[in-house]
Amino acid sequence: MLKILDFFDYAKSESLWMAHFCTGCCSLEMAAAMGPRYDWERYGYLPTPTPRQADVLMITGLVSKKILPALLRTYAQMPDPKYVVAMGACSFDGGPYNESLSVIKNPTEILPADVFIAGCPPKPEAIIEGLEQVKLKIKNGEPSAASQGGLWKEMEF
Amino acid sequence: MKNLRKIVEEFSCEYVENYKKIWIKAKLNSKNDLLTLANALKKEGLRSLSTVSPTDFLEDHIMEVNYFFEDLETKRNLWLKIDLPRKVEECKVESLTPLFPSAAWHEREAFSMFGVEFLHHPDLRDILKSEDFRGVYPFRKDFDWGAHEKNQMQNIQQIVDAFKKEQEENEIELDPDSSETMLNWGPTHPASGPIRLRVHCDGEEVISIDPDIGYVWRALEHLVTKKDFVGAIVAVERLCFMDNINSMVGYCMAVEEIADVKITPFASWMRVLLGEVARVSSHFMGLGGFFNNIGLHTLGMWNMDTREFFLDFLESYSGARIATASIEPGGVRYGLDMSMFDELQKALDKFDTTVGEVEAIFVKNPTMKLRSDNVGILSKEDVHEFGLSGIVARASGVKTDIRIDEPYAAYDELDLKYITQEGGSANDRFMMLFRDIKQSIEIIKQAKFHIEKAVAEGEMNPTKDHMVKVPKKLPKGEAISRVEWARGEVLMHLVTEEKAKSPYRLKMRAPSFNHTMMLNHLLKGRTLSDIPLIFGSLYICQGDLDR
Repeated sequence: MLKILDFFDYAKSESLWMAHFCTGCCSLEMAAAMGPRYDWERYGYLPTPTPRQADVLMITGLVSKKILPALLRTYAQMPDPKYVVAMGACSFDGGPYNESLSVIKNPTEILPADVFIAGCPPKPEAIIEGLEQVKLKIKNGEPSAASQGGLWKEMEF
Repeated sequence: MKNLRKIVEEFSCEYVENYKKIWIKAKLNSKNDLLTLANALKKEGLRSLSTVSPTDFLEDHIMEVNYFFEDLETKRNLWLKIDLPRKVEECKVESLTPLFPSAAWHEREAFSMFGVEFLHHPDLRDILKSEDFRGVYPFRKDFDWGAHEKNQMQNIQQIVDAFKKEQEENEIELDPDSSETMLNWGPTHPASGPIRLRVHCDGEEVISIDPDIGYVWRALEHLVTKKDFVGAIVAVERLCFMDNINSMVGYCMAVEEIADVKITPFASWMRVLLGEVARVSSHFMGLGGFFNNIGLHTLGMWNMDTREFFLDFLESYSGARIATASIEPGGVRYGLDMSMFDELQKALDKFDTTVGEVEAIFVKNPTMKLRSDNVGILSKEDVHEFGLSGIVARASGVKTDIRIDEPYAAYDELDLKYITQEGGSANDRFMMLFRDIKQSIEIIKQAKFHIEKAVAEGEMNPTKDHMVKVPKKLPKGEAISRVEWARGEVLMHLVTEEKAKSPYRLKMRAPSFNHTMMLNHLLKGRTLSDIPLIFGSLYICQGDLDR
């Protein structure tokens, strides 16, 4: 039997809305995942233009120094509980831009991610699989990684 | 061509020589002649300044500035060089922006990255680079990136402070009793992507727009200098993922020119084929984006569906849907299994079955026509003055298409015609995109037929002919190459040193830079609701805007 609290977690997990925030090239594959062939709305995902209604923030690829404050501001505006998904190689260690010094190599040290999706860019199937992992995390009632720590808490933005 | 040469030879030059078919390459001895020469060039008809590209020669203490003048009408181009002293205090030259408005942002870029000061430039501010680089010039060879990077957190703080300060200043400067406001359109507006437009507006009416760009600045031009010639394609193709093949083609052509390598016919036909597939898949996004921005998402979804089939072909050929890395100096990276063409045939069939519906429902849509017909009109004169290219230029009736003007790969063997629209409005640009897709599909069909025929007759070997060996170390030299990219003209200027393993300098001139410059021109006096429409119709991608 489901406990009442479990039921709330279950309900949250089945309608993940993500803040429509593009930081890099991976957003192209995110668009493909929205498209008819992969159609992520089957799973309850929906991009929303305002962070105030979003549950998930997707770091779509590279994070440059200039866009990081905007990313953090977006995250701060989202209501709890909120989760972060890091897409692509760039959001892990800079990926192909590892030697470029306008790109932040450790964005997830600043804003810790709950799920990493591998690839450059990840395929739409991988993106959906990654979001399924977030669902599992919510169903299990686990707290999000960014609420546990990360440099963003000490920063002004 | 002769006239042009004569004009240049009147000035004291180190050399004047013909370069390729439609270029003249010259080096001025004195920078004082620049303005008079530019005046003469403008009178002669070279009305666009494609880009300004400085090269920093650390050992010779020289900052060499390259100017690329173009005449879109008669297809005569001039590559002009001048030497400036390298010291920041002395690195000054007269600005050409008053004569060639297309140079405005290019000179600002050269100023921000290399510290070349352009005298009498109307608006010489930093562009692209973020606030933490203020006062330093990141592309200079003696700039210490490592030391700069150590203070990452302070750098970010600097950016935050600058942003806050700007917002506060806006509050102070504007009269509290008036209805004027400064709006931030972005940094990530769902209709655009990472760009911030500072919209100064009075109620609904736009007074001026000042784009703040650089949110996806990856310093690609610097990144390639840290990689070898093959590894650099990873950076080059990330110019923009929507059409990555053609940017790689441009870069590889420049490398091959310096290495003096000629690629096989099979490779050049494959470059045409893959390039057009990438162009089509990019245009699909552009068409969808245009309709998304005016609030109808159906076409975007339909196009996404058709686009998947073209990506399937790229995936079967290279193993990756988007980041194919499939063009390499010396040819194309992979051989071709003829069964891969089955995927391409599926995509072409899919296009043929859906194009009729798209045309009936969207292209001939009366509501869309009504909305976009008299919006964002660019005249022929604007195209020349602001150096616009690609579909934006052709929508205004200017016959420019580098595939025809300066054929590369196997485009000279193809049956190609200029396609143009006359009006120059947002609607014309949309129509242009649609017609460009149709033309590209025709090219794909021709190229596919040609390859299949040549393979069947034994003229081409698809598994062995794809690559010619290019030496790992290149001689000293420089080259430029131009390709017709999905969004317009991409000009690559590559400089190498003796026995170089990696590029010394690569300048990538990307079309969205000029197109974004037009936003202020087009939106002055219009209403806020026109911003997404005009932005969508200009077909801007932040990837190649920021590089």
